[in-house]
Amino acid sequence: MKAKAPLNCYFNHERIVPAVFLVLSFLAWQISGLTGSFVLNQVITRFIRDGLLVLALIIPVVAGMGLNFSITVGAMAIQTSLLLVIAYNIEGVPGILLVMVIGIFLSVLLGYVLGRILNRVKGKEMITTIIIGFFVNSIYQLIFLVGFGTVIPVFNQEIILTRGIGVRNTVDLGMYRNTIDKLWLFSIGEIQIPLFMILIVLLFAGGIYYILHTRFGRQVQAVGSAAETCAVLGIDTDRVRIKVMILSTVLAALGQFIYLQNIGMFDVYTAHLNTGIISCAALLAGGASIKSAKVRQALLGIFLFHTLFIVSPQAGQHLFRNAALGEYFRSFVAYGTIALALIVNVGNENRPIQRK
Amino acid sequence: MENILQISHLNKSYNGIPALKNVNLSVRAGEIHGLVGANGSGKTTLMNILFGQPVIHETGGYQGEIAFAGRRIEFKNCSQAISCGIGMVHQEFALIPDLTVAENIKLGREHTLAFTDRLLGRQFSYIDNRHDRASSLQALRKLGIELDPDIKIMDLSINLKQFVEIAREIDRTDLRLLILDEPTAVLSQDNSWMLLEILREMSGRGIGILFISHRLEEIQAVCDRVSVLRDGELVARYEKNHIHINQLARDMIGHSVIKAAAGKRKIEARPLITFRKFSVAMPGEEIKNLDLNVYEGEIIGLTSLPGHGKLALGYGMMGLYPVAGEVWFNNERIVRMDAMDNIVKGIYALPDDRQGLGILADQSLENNIVFTANQAKNMFSRSSLFPFLSMLDHRRTVPHVEKMVQDFDIKCASFKQKVRELSGGNQQKVCIARALTAEPRLLFVAEPTRGVDISAREKILSMLIEINRTRNMTIVFASSELDELQRVCDRIAVMVQGKIFKILSPDSPEVDFALALSGETGMDDDV
Ligand SMILES: Nc1ncnc2c1ncn2[C@@H]1O[C@H](COP(=O)(O)OP(=O)(O)OP(=O)(O)O)[C@@H](O)[C@H]1O
Ligand SMILES: [Mg+2]
Repeated sequence: MKAKAPLNCYFNHERIVPAVFLVLSFLAWQISGLTGSFVLNQVITRFIRDGLLVLALIIPVVAGMGLNFSITVGAMAIQTSLLLVIAYNIEGVPGILLVMVIGIFLSVLLGYVLGRILNRVKGKEMITTIIIGFFVNSIYQLIFLVGFGTVIPVFNQEIILTRGIGVRNTVDLGMYRNTIDKLWLFSIGEIQIPLFMILIVLLFAGGIYYILHTRFGRQVQAVGSAAETCAVLGIDTDRVRIKVMILSTVLAALGQFIYLQNIGMFDVYTAHLNTGIISCAALLAGGASIKSAKVRQALLGIFLFHTLFIVSPQAGQHLFRNAALGEYFRSFVAYGTIALALIVNVGNENRPIQRK
Repeated sequence: MENILQISHLNKSYNGIPALKNVNLSVRAGEIHGLVGANGSGKTTLMNILFGQPVIHETGGYQGEIAFAGRRIEFKNCSQAISCGIGMVHQEFALIPDLTVAENIKLGREHTLAFTDRLLGRQFSYIDNRHDRASSLQALRKLGIELDPDIKIMDLSINLKQFVEIAREIDRTDLRLLILDEPTAVLSQDNSWMLLEILREMSGRGIGILFISHRLEEIQAVCDRVSVLRDGELVARYEKNHIHINQLARDMIGHSVIKAAAGKRKIEARPLITFRKFSVAMPGEEIKNLDLNVYEGEIIGLTSLPGHGKLALGYGMMGLYPVAGEVWFNNERIVRMDAMDNIVKGIYALPDDRQGLGILADQSLENNIVFTANQAKNMFSRSSLFPFLSMLDHRRTVPHVEKMVQDFDIKCASFKQKVRELSGGNQQKVCIARALTAEPRLLFVAEPTRGVDISAREKILSMLIEINRTRNMTIVFASSELDELQRVCDRIAVMVQGKIFKILSPDSPEVDFALALSGETGMDDDV
């Protein structure tokens, strides 16, 4: 006797959501009147900026922990390290390396703590990561509003407010700009291709793919599918989940660093606030769900989501002849994606055949 | 031969209720040691202790001493047991639903690409899927089964899951002690004997084996020694050649069993349900274009080799898998398969997958038994005016549950106990009790005696017969136990490749069944 795997239905969310995005972005692009090369250049930039942040979400999803909104914590870790290094006036490549080292150290620590916390709230990870994100944000603000210049000595007066305490709203990253972004940069017609940075993102994507196909990755999958059974099979669920959170937080930290240095300056108090939402939306746009995510969905999702993200304000403006609507359209797209993906997910769970 | 395992003065209780009392047991290297006992006698508890299962810790640990290979052990978790070379085939399976067959079999022992192993260490070396698939196929073949290694576990039927569960353990090369908790409960006889052959071969290699089964013939055939548990106490032990089935049965339950048997009769009634070109797309258990009439008031048996579709009929009637074709119930066509609609019409299908579909694990025994009847027919609600809002009427449920617990001999601490905490066989009894409580006109049962002890098996069978005779309940009885079908059914349909191959009368000779099962036409005419 021979048993065969069932034919996968063609119309599942893995296909529907990206298809909807494709159609929407195309329509919005037509309405917006933006040139193709402009949009493409923008999308490539966003691909580099947001790539690692979106990739950081994959492993927690596979581990059954849902969307990790606390990648903002990783972002704050790297921002902290960045501000420390700037405060001591360390420039150039040594500065970049030091930022990385401190940032990774901090995010390993924070990832560990996050993992420990999430192990206590199994099944409610998503809401917990959102709240933790808010909470860490308030600690972060406290440190930079009153800690800098008082408890922490600062040798770089440019970043301090005139009263001598607290960091300015915006800090210039000029001293790191154009160090890695412009490596191997070439253009085809009007389109600029920063090959080195694209390769970096793809390298990390390959890394995630690789990890998911190792013994560790298999354990992550098992934990995501049936945590209780894992204990019986000799897999230490809690440890796997902690490792997953550490990995995700470190990746988020590196991702935020790429993001900030690419922009060239950063809003100390707000730069990290939207990373969670936007990255999650991008992942979902690629067809991932809160139960399953693949590397290719992340890569596809970044392209689709950001295309829509770039053209929708212009499209909105053209449609309704109102400039203020632009920003509104962006948040509409971001939250709309997440809401849609969540609904599609719940719908899938109710299909009787997918039983535990 | 030295003892690989030595258990002395082992005691274990759950919430003050003892489950094991002063148990002494040893297993020699290269020995197959049988363990028998009625449902709830503590067999699984004993195995769980040996394997370091978390549930033992969570319920307060145990007292006593266990030595493994001469060293005293006290496992905190299963991974310690696994790394000592202990393997376990779990009664309720330890399979990961989202992983495939091959991934489950090789979990923790995956083949990896050698150079990544050296480069990045054990945890982060790249898995060689092709290699894994091949070696899991090999393990499955040893058990006499061909199975696509890329199917996800959640799409498999219970008996295919059982194969995967066993294959995972026999594929291990580092085993020193193998624990098997009712591995043959859902296997057909042929497959069971193949497994026993493998066990013999493994014990020949010096592996100690602890084997639990409710099928005493298997115990007699394969065990070097057998120990009998009764209410948590070890009451007897026999050496090979001194194992007698009747003696074992008496030791287990304290009395001998009377075999249930229905009288022979000829049913001449109208069809209650008719299947025309009926198909069910259940992976590994498909039904294709089945035509069948089930007459009112009969008990019809369904049997087949594993994978030939006997289990899928009930699942199809519950709407769990896509179906095609026509179904006429009581001269009315059923257009949409919906479990609730069907229950209201009087059709109830009891699946063989009790963990996944049969029980509400975290609900009380009482709720489990009355749940369906109350949902579909408000049989136990306090007010008939607002049935959805009203609570259970305990004055009516308690006597009913009491009767069921007595009839089936369900071993429980109280009616409020969570079903999760009952032993495997007792969970099975709860499922049957629930089906009978709903009083359907047409009942589909699949492997109803899976994992129940010899005495409870007869109770379930005679209950099915009784309820069929007194309430005129029509029963479609799918099972791989031919002997049970022969004693209970009026007709037995043999399925091959998802179709009815032949319908035989229960007193047809064995050979006819054997021939029909393998798809060869015998001499006899159809009934
Ligand atoms: N987690 C638990 N909490 C409370 N009681 C339990 C728990 N697990 C088992 N028990 C009780 O311990 C007793 C022994 O159960 P066990 O599962 O060991 O029986 P068994 O011999 O394996 O039976 P079966 O043949 O039905 O599988 C039963 O009375 C059961 O109700
Ligand atoms: Mg048991």
